[in-house]
Amino acid sequence: MTDGEIRELCHRFFDAYQDRRSDELAELYAPDCIIWHNVFGRETTGAENLAALPKSYAQQRRRTYDDRTIDTFQGGFVIQYTLHGVQHSGHRGALWICIVGLCKDGKITRIDDYMDSSKFAAWAGARRGEMRDSRDGDRSQA
Amino acid sequence: MTDRELRELCQRYLDAIERRDVDGVAELYAPELTFWVNLTGAESSRAEKLATLREGYALLRRRSYDDRTIDTFETGFLARYSVTAVAHDGRRSSHWACIVAQCKEGRITHVDEYLDSSKFRRPAAGAP
Repeated sequence: MTDGEIRELCHRFFDAYQDRRSDELAELYAPDCIIWHNVFGRETTGAENLAALPKSYAQQRRRTYDDRTIDTFQGGFVIQYTLHGVQHSGHRGALWICIVGLCKDGKITRIDDYMDSSKFAAWAGARRGEMRDSRDGDRSQA
Repeated sequence: MTDRELRELCQRYLDAIERRDVDGVAELYAPELTFWVNLTGAESSRAEKLATLREGYALLRRRSYDDRTIDTFETGFLARYSVTAVAHDGRRSSHWACIVAQCKEGRITHVDEYLDSSKFRRPAAGAP
């Protein structure tokens, strides 16, 4: 894939994620896609990720993937961005995240996701105890 | 810089940090270096980052940067790795991290570092 094709794929992926278009995300994941998070340290499949999306989306009123900085390398991309979230309470929070995507034939075959989970509580506007419950829920989805 | 030069710079950088060679790290940082980390969202200067490195070494017996996966792009490199730390009391901890570095003329001009601080081991109760 060319630099332009990889950048376009990256933007399509984040636009679809932001707009909650699960059907397009399914198109962009390769059948054997693997997703790994530095927070949990384990791999899930693209299908597991898609299945967890409705519950994940239900947790916030809106999420936007802003300030995207994309670099491409042979076989993939690295994107650094700010995830802005608006909770149902109206609370706004931000997380700085870096994702590495491996790509082949126009699809994403692997995602490595790097973030600081210590920021989750502030991001969600939750008290510490509430956040622990929420993170347990996230872990079961992942 | 070529793909090979960027990879070599990345390995030299992580090797120097691992063996506590602050002078070696300083050689690889451009004078105008800025260092950003997702834990604070703040940028440090070259001098500030080198001072932080020196202070950080005193907190641990050893730190190694393992399982390095390096990719290069037009202006820099991406390194994914696991950091294994051994505290003075012998306890080990590890976490996964990545850095995205911008490079120019054989030196690093900017680093963005992404860590999960919840993985940092707290000192044992009563530890100095």
